[in-house]
Amino acid sequence: MRKLIEFRNIVKSFDGQVVLKGVNLNINENEFVTLLGPSGCGKTTLLRILGGFLEQDEGTVIFDGQCIDNVPPYRREINTVFQRYALFPHLNVYENIAFGLRIKKTGEDIINQKVTRMLSLVNLEGYEKRRVTKLSGGQQQRVAIARALVNEPNVLLLDEPLGALDLKLRKEMQRELKRIQQEVGITFIYVTHDQEEALTMSDKIVVMNAGEIEQIGTPLEIYNEPVNAYVARFIGESNIVDGIMKADYRVRVDDRIFECVDKGFRPDEPVDVLIRPEDIDIVKPKDGMMRGEVKSVIFKGVHYELMVETKTGTSKTVQMHVVTSHDLNNPQAGEKISANDFYVDSDDLENKEMTDADFISIANAQAWDDENRDISLTRVKHNIEKVPGVYSITFGTEKGTEITVKVHVVHPEYVEDARHNIGISALDFFITPEEIQESMAISTDLKTWASAEAWNLQDDSSVEITDVKFDFDPASVTEGSYEITFATQGREYKVETTARHEVGDRVGLNFDPEDIHVMHKEVADA
Amino acid sequence: MKSFFRMSYPYILWIALFIVAPMLMILLYAVTRSGNGTITFHFTLENFARFLSDPTFLKVLWTSLRIALITTVVCILIGYPAALFIANLPEKRQTLMILLLTLPMWINMLLKTYAWRGILMNFEIESEIKVFIGMVYDFLPYMIIQIHTAIAKLDRELLTAAYDLGANRGKAFLKVTLPLSVPGIISGITLVFLPAVSSFVIPKLLGGGNYVLIGNLIETYFLVAGDWNFGSAISLIMALIIIGSMYLTKKLDTGAEEE
Repeated sequence: MRKLIEFRNIVKSFDGQVVLKGVNLNINENEFVTLLGPSGCGKTTLLRILGGFLEQDEGTVIFDGQCIDNVPPYRREINTVFQRYALFPHLNVYENIAFGLRIKKTGEDIINQKVTRMLSLVNLEGYEKRRVTKLSGGQQQRVAIARALVNEPNVLLLDEPLGALDLKLRKEMQRELKRIQQEVGITFIYVTHDQEEALTMSDKIVVMNAGEIEQIGTPLEIYNEPVNAYVARFIGESNIVDGIMKADYRVRVDDRIFECVDKGFRPDEPVDVLIRPEDIDIVKPKDGMMRGEVKSVIFKGVHYELMVETKTGTSKTVQMHVVTSHDLNNPQAGEKISANDFYVDSDDLENKEMTDADFISIANAQAWDDENRDISLTRVKHNIEKVPGVYSITFGTEKGTEITVKVHVVHPEYVEDARHNIGISALDFFITPEEIQESMAISTDLKTWASAEAWNLQDDSSVEITDVKFDFDPASVTEGSYEITFATQGREYKVETTARHEVGDRVGLNFDPEDIHVMHKEVADA
Repeated sequence: MKSFFRMSYPYILWIALFIVAPMLMILLYAVTRSGNGTITFHFTLENFARFLSDPTFLKVLWTSLRIALITTVVCILIGYPAALFIANLPEKRQTLMILLLTLPMWINMLLKTYAWRGILMNFEIESEIKVFIGMVYDFLPYMIIQIHTAIAKLDRELLTAAYDLGANRGKAFLKVTLPLSVPGIISGITLVFLPAVSSFVIPKLLGGGNYVLIGNLIETYFLVAGDWNFGSAISLIMALIIIGSMYLTKKLDTGAEEE
């Protein structure tokens, strides 16, 4: 195939924000090329530079062996199907399609012949006299394609043309576009953020991220051999886990070593390991290379999507003391006040500047008048010290309504899980049954009440607590002590299977060495 | 819905009292002879016949229409490029320009016209030209604002599409911007032609005493001659002409859209 378009080191920024960081890309004749990436990755900008609607800051665009940097858009042999179609509302379907031909002063009979042919190519025969504003999204789309193709360009640019259509129509138009491209045999450059669209239609996919090209390849290459976790995540469903390359063909994940078909890594190089959900087989636990528990099952039509946990997360258990609240009544002022005892860890007192507002919040202190209106707590007195022990704190209103509660200052209690590099902490806490009953999102509130936190031991970054276990019924909880366990995400694999499994099943997971794809770690963004 | 409708009662009353009732009275005056009693009316069409059969009156009517027409055309010719220019400015500057344009509209028309009279007194120009200058000056902002609004709400992507399809700037303007701004031009015409055809202050002050337009004619018959019946008839004829031309422009507008 002959090279038709060449982008050389294209740089473009808007208002000081760099959207293209030196893009190099070759596009051949008659190719269906897709620029794929999330919004803001620069794909549309690249397309607009090729169309001539934007000027690059640096670099050159070569078209058919010639630099076209100074060629205005109307003299480029390129036509565009715009994102919102940009059909001319004052012209009917026929005149919209004839627009380009009329500009070129084409004879009426030839216009008629070409427009008619285009209408049949996009299956819109009989729509000549319709107003474009009265057409459906799919029909407008077809008119936009016909209007561009009638000029017989060498390249057709399509800027997310199916974005506004519903799923069924989108699928239909995907097939349609591919057919049209094969029929007219010109280069299509297609911009989308939809990976499925890219996979179905393209000869070549260009995966872009933050103004740079991550990978260029056929759909099969991109799917089976993504160069990094970013591409793997963008295309298709994926399990991406941290691993260490022990030697050629041998990769360690968690504490197991798997055979693979990848080589050429440094010994002990940290890598990303990709296993596609459809490549994992579910077997009996004793036959599996890994064992785990089914955590969730989602029915997806042709298959089930299972989440299988092969390793539990790091966890910490605390006591929840449920006590009935003791509202204090101050009849003289017509006010009531309440607050809970609370725990606070000595490290927090040391490291954070705890304000009165923080204490009010932790103690859930509040005051209200006879008509149930909130009254602000203006006075907070306490004798809290940073040494563990029991102290007291008094909250009061302007009118002198006061309540005193106990403050337990305790040593911080961490669970540190060195093997998985995760630390987790949480504190015992006091709470009233009413507060539990009123909670809209009990797991989230429990995390807040217990000040539960998890973090990465290496870089101190925060780690999500995904699991909150408790064995009381929030609607009917009574006084007493309850255990709450907070845990981070364990190792979970997404598996696609046609067999039915229940949540809680113990299963084994198997995959072949060629189903494992080892990728270099992405270089952290500077 | 019903309670909302009730909110319009004062408005309806207002219209009935100050618009519909006077109109009916004009109609009544136009088809009667002077010297009506409170109960007896002498119905007649002679007021209309008098106007339509007298070449002097018809000439005045023709002059009025001609002046209004020329004023409108001049307003379009000056207003369109101005509106186009403003619409291509950055947004903040557009607001400023529109503000500057509308600023003279806040000044009383009489004052402005007197000012023009003072200025134009020193020049040896035909009185008709003076009238044009005054009219165009007064009505131009309406035209510019209407056209500007139409151009400003144009989807820029349409121009990009036109370039993409091979149109240079000139052709893109002729084939996209211009046809799509027609509704703006038409509402501009409505806002300029109608007041221009019935204006009487400007021709009176700038055209000198002997320059009579239909507005002046009506004024004279009502206020000087005291012939309310004939004045009403002329007003009615004017109203018919205005309604007719509004109908035509409306037709033109929808016609352009349905093309």
